[in-house]
Amino acid sequence: MPSADLVVVGAGLSGHTAALAAAESGARVQVLAKGHAGTHWGTGGFDIAGLPGSATSRDGLRRLAATRGHPYAILSDDLEPALEWLRTRLAAEGLTYEGDLDTPLARVPTSIGGTRLAAILPAAQAAAVRPWEPGERLVVCGIAGFKDFWPDAIAASLSRPRVWGGVAGPSRVDAVTVELPGLAARHNLSALELARRLDDPAWRADAVGRIAAALERSGAATGRVALPAILGLDDHAAVLEEFRRRLPLEPFELPLVPPSIPGMRLYYALRAALIRAGGRIQIGEAIAHVDRDADRVIAVASEAAARTTTVRTGSMVLATGGIAGGGLVADHGGHLEEVVLDLPVEAPEFADWLAPDAFDPAGHPLEGAGIRTDADLRPVDQSGKPVFENVRVAGSLLAGQRYLRERCRDGVAIASGWRAARTMTAVAVAEPSAVTAGPGGGEARSVLR
Amino acid sequence: MTIAELVQEASLEQVGYSSDECLKCNVCNTVCPVARVTDLYPGPKYVGPQAARFRMGRAQPAQVAGLPHLLSPDMTVDYCSGCGWCTTVCPAGVKVAEMNSQSRARMKAGKRPKLRDWGLGQTDLTGSIGVLFSPIGNWALANRPIRRMLELAFGIHHAAPFPKFSKRTFQSTWKRRQKRRGITAVPGPERAVVYFHGCAVNYYEPHVANAAIAILERNGYQVIVPEQVCCGLPLISNGIYGEARDRANKNIKILADYARKGYKIVGTSTSCTHTIKAEYREMLDIHDDDATLVANATWDICEFLLDLHDQGKLDTSFGPLDEELPYHAPCQLRSHGIGLPAMDLFALVPGLRAKDMDHDCCGIAGTYGMKKEKYDIGMAVGAPLFEKVRASGATEAACDSETCRWQIEKATNVRTRHPVEILLAAYRAGDARPVAAPVPAAPAAQSH
Repeated sequence: MPSADLVVVGAGLSGHTAALAAAESGARVQVLAKGHAGTHWGTGGFDIAGLPGSATSRDGLRRLAATRGHPYAILSDDLEPALEWLRTRLAAEGLTYEGDLDTPLARVPTSIGGTRLAAILPAAQAAAVRPWEPGERLVVCGIAGFKDFWPDAIAASLSRPRVWGGVAGPSRVDAVTVELPGLAARHNLSALELARRLDDPAWRADAVGRIAAALERSGAATGRVALPAILGLDDHAAVLEEFRRRLPLEPFELPLVPPSIPGMRLYYALRAALIRAGGRIQIGEAIAHVDRDADRVIAVASEAAARTTTVRTGSMVLATGGIAGGGLVADHGGHLEEVVLDLPVEAPEFADWLAPDAFDPAGHPLEGAGIRTDADLRPVDQSGKPVFENVRVAGSLLAGQRYLRERCRDGVAIASGWRAARTMTAVAVAEPSAVTAGPGGGEARSVLR
Repeated sequence: MTIAELVQEASLEQVGYSSDECLKCNVCNTVCPVARVTDLYPGPKYVGPQAARFRMGRAQPAQVAGLPHLLSPDMTVDYCSGCGWCTTVCPAGVKVAEMNSQSRARMKAGKRPKLRDWGLGQTDLTGSIGVLFSPIGNWALANRPIRRMLELAFGIHHAAPFPKFSKRTFQSTWKRRQKRRGITAVPGPERAVVYFHGCAVNYYEPHVANAAIAILERNGYQVIVPEQVCCGLPLISNGIYGEARDRANKNIKILADYARKGYKIVGTSTSCTHTIKAEYREMLDIHDDDATLVANATWDICEFLLDLHDQGKLDTSFGPLDEELPYHAPCQLRSHGIGLPAMDLFALVPGLRAKDMDHDCCGIAGTYGMKKEKYDIGMAVGAPLFEKVRASGATEAACDSETCRWQIEKATNVRTRHPVEILLAAYRAGDARPVAAPVPAAPAAQSH
C-alpha cells in the first residue's frame, strides 16, 4: 500500500472523525479496521452527556469534565467545535442532526417501552425530544410480521407516567399494527429489509398510504407517531420527507436492536465524507504488527491472505474501541491487553471485576478501563510519560469514562477524534522537520507527526 | 470416512469454531449482496454461524435413510454466492463465508453433483474442447436457440456472459514463442517470476497474459510459465471439494519447486491468486509446508507491481491516457486484504481519471450468476454497478477478475479490461512520445 501521513485503526465514530479531520487538513489518511462495529450497534444519535439531573448536554459535560480522570477533563473545549464541524460534513452527505449542547435533555421513548435521556438526534428521531403538550397523543405503529418491534407492549409501558421520569409524557399512548404491501405471509421481516423496501418509491407510496390509513383509524387527529427505525437506508431523506408529508401525525423513529438502521446511515455518511475528502478505508483485516523506531510508529501491517500488507506512516490514531469494540481483550487471569500496540492499560484490580451487585447503579468498574493519555491524547505509562510520540488514542478506548452510565460515548468519540487529528496537524506545522521517508522516492512528505 | 466428515473434522479449528465468536450482531447481514436483492437467501448470519450449531453434531451420520440432508439444516446455503463480504465486515472474526462454502460442500457430499455444477468446475476440460473447436464453439455460444437449449438441458442461463474461446491456448502460444526466441536458461528469482495464468487467460483471454508479460519483461523480469491446472475455485464454489483438492495438490506440487528456490508466483486472475494464497489452506484444509510455501510466494499482478513501485523499481515511464476509467474491485481482491493496488497504479498514469465504482459485487461471483436460477439475482446484485459504469460515459472499464469483466461488459456494453492492459497502453503511449518532451505532471487519479 502507498505510504500515509496518518493511519487510523478503527472505523467507528472516533476513527472516522479523526480520519476525516486529518484528510481535510491535507494529510494522506488510511483507515484500517477489522470489521464494522460501533456505528452498526448504536442508535445513530449523539450521546454527549446524558446524566440524570443535568438540564442540558452542556451541564452534563461540565460535570463529567470535573470528574477526575474523565476524558472530558481534557476534551471539554473541543466538543462543541468538533460537533458543529461534524454536523456540517454529515449534512453534506444528506444526514442532518437536530439539537445542540444547549438543547434540554429530554426523555425519549425506546423500542423496549422505556425512555432514555437524549438531546442531539438525527432528524428522523428528533421529534421525540420536544416536550409533550397537554393533551398530546402518541401512537406506536408496528409492522405485521416484524418481530423486533412490539407496539402493544411499548404502548402499554409508555402509558405509565413513571416511565417519563417526572416529566409530562403523552396524554395517551395507543398501538397500531399495519400490514405492508406484499408481506402478508411474512413472519421473519428484518429492519434491514423493510428499510430497503421503503427506499423503493413505488412500494413506499403504497406502504405510507396504509400506515396513514391505520393512524386515521386510531382516532388520534394530532400528536406524534413512533415508528421502528426503518425509514429508508440509501434514500432516507426522501423516505422521511414522504412520511412527514403524508402521515396525519408527526413521525419519529425508535432505534432497534442491531443492525441499527440509523447507525448504518451514520456509518455510510461518515465513510462517504471521508472518501470525498481523499481518505482511504480498508475494512476486513486486523492489525498484524506495528513497526516502531524508538518512540515513533513508522509502519502498520495488517493481516492479508498469505502475507501482511504494510503501510508506512507518519502517525497513528488508535480508535479500536474498548472491550465491546475489541480494542481491549480481557483474559481469565484478570489481564487486559490493548491489542494493537500493547499499551499500558488502566484497569481496576481483578478482585473488583466481579461486583457484589451485578446491577449496581454505579456501573461496572471495568467500564472505566482503558488507555490513559496526556492532554494531546498520546498514550502514557504509569509515570505519565508518553509511550509513543506520534500515536493518539480516541473514542471508547480512552480510560476513565463510564459511557453506559454517563451516556457520553459519542461526545468522547467526536471530541477525541477531532482533537487527535488537530494536535498532530498543529505539531507538524510547528515542526516542519517531522518528515518520514516515503517509498519509491518523491513521496517523502508528511504533514503530521 | 466421507468427504463431509473429513471436511468437518479438519476445519473445525479454523472455520467451524469461529462461530463461537458470533455475537449475533447482524453486521454480516447488512452487507450481504444476495440478501439485499432476494428473500430466497435469508442472510449469512442465519445460514452461517446460526445454523452451524446444528451442523456440529459429529455423531450424526452423513446420510440417514429418508433424511439425506440432516447435516445441513438450511438448504438456502446454496444461494450464498461466496463473495465473502460477511467475513470481511464481521467485527468478531467469524469466518462466515468459509463456513457457508463448507456447509455447501457437506450438503453435496456423497451425492453426484449436478451435471451443470460439475461441468462449470471443469474449466480445463471445457476450455480445451472449446479452443479445439473454437469457431463452432463460439458460434454455438452466440446462437440464441442453442443457448436456450443449453439453459433447458443444463440450467445455464441463456443470457449469462460467456467469453469467446481463443484460437489456441496461451500455453501452446507461449511454448512456441519461447522456442522461437530460443530461451532455455532461466535466471534466478531476482530476475524472473513464475506466471500463474489460470483458465481464463489460457482459453479465452491470452491478451491479458501478453500484457502482463510485456509489463514484467519491461521491468526486467523473465517470465516462467510452468504447466499448471485450474486453481480449483470453480469446483470449490460448486461444493465439489474432492476434485478441487486434486487440482490444488497438483498446482502446489508444481509451484512449490519454484517457491523453494525463491521465485515469486504472479497471477493475473485475482481469484486464482486468492485461491492459492488462502483457500487451499482455509477451505480445502491442505496444511502441509508446500501449501504454505506456495501461498506465501503468490502475488496478484497489481500487488506485485505496486510492491516494485514501493521499492522504487517500477518503470514509471507511463505516457498520458486521457480517459475516464471506471474501476470495479472484485470480491476476491478484497479478500486478499491488499487494498486496491490497481487504483494506486492507475494514479501513476498521467491524464487517466480512474474512479473506484465502490460497489460490493458485480453479481457473477464466479459461476454463480451463470446459473439459470441465480442469473436474475446476480444481475440485480450488479445493477447499481452497471448503472454507475454506464453513467460514467466511459468507453472502457477495468477490473482484476475475469468473470466480473465478462459480467460488466455484457451488462453495460462497456469494454472491460484487466488493469495490466491499461498499464501496457500507458507504457505504449509513453514510448510513442517524443523523447525530449517533458513529462507532464501526473494528476492524481481519483482516490478511493
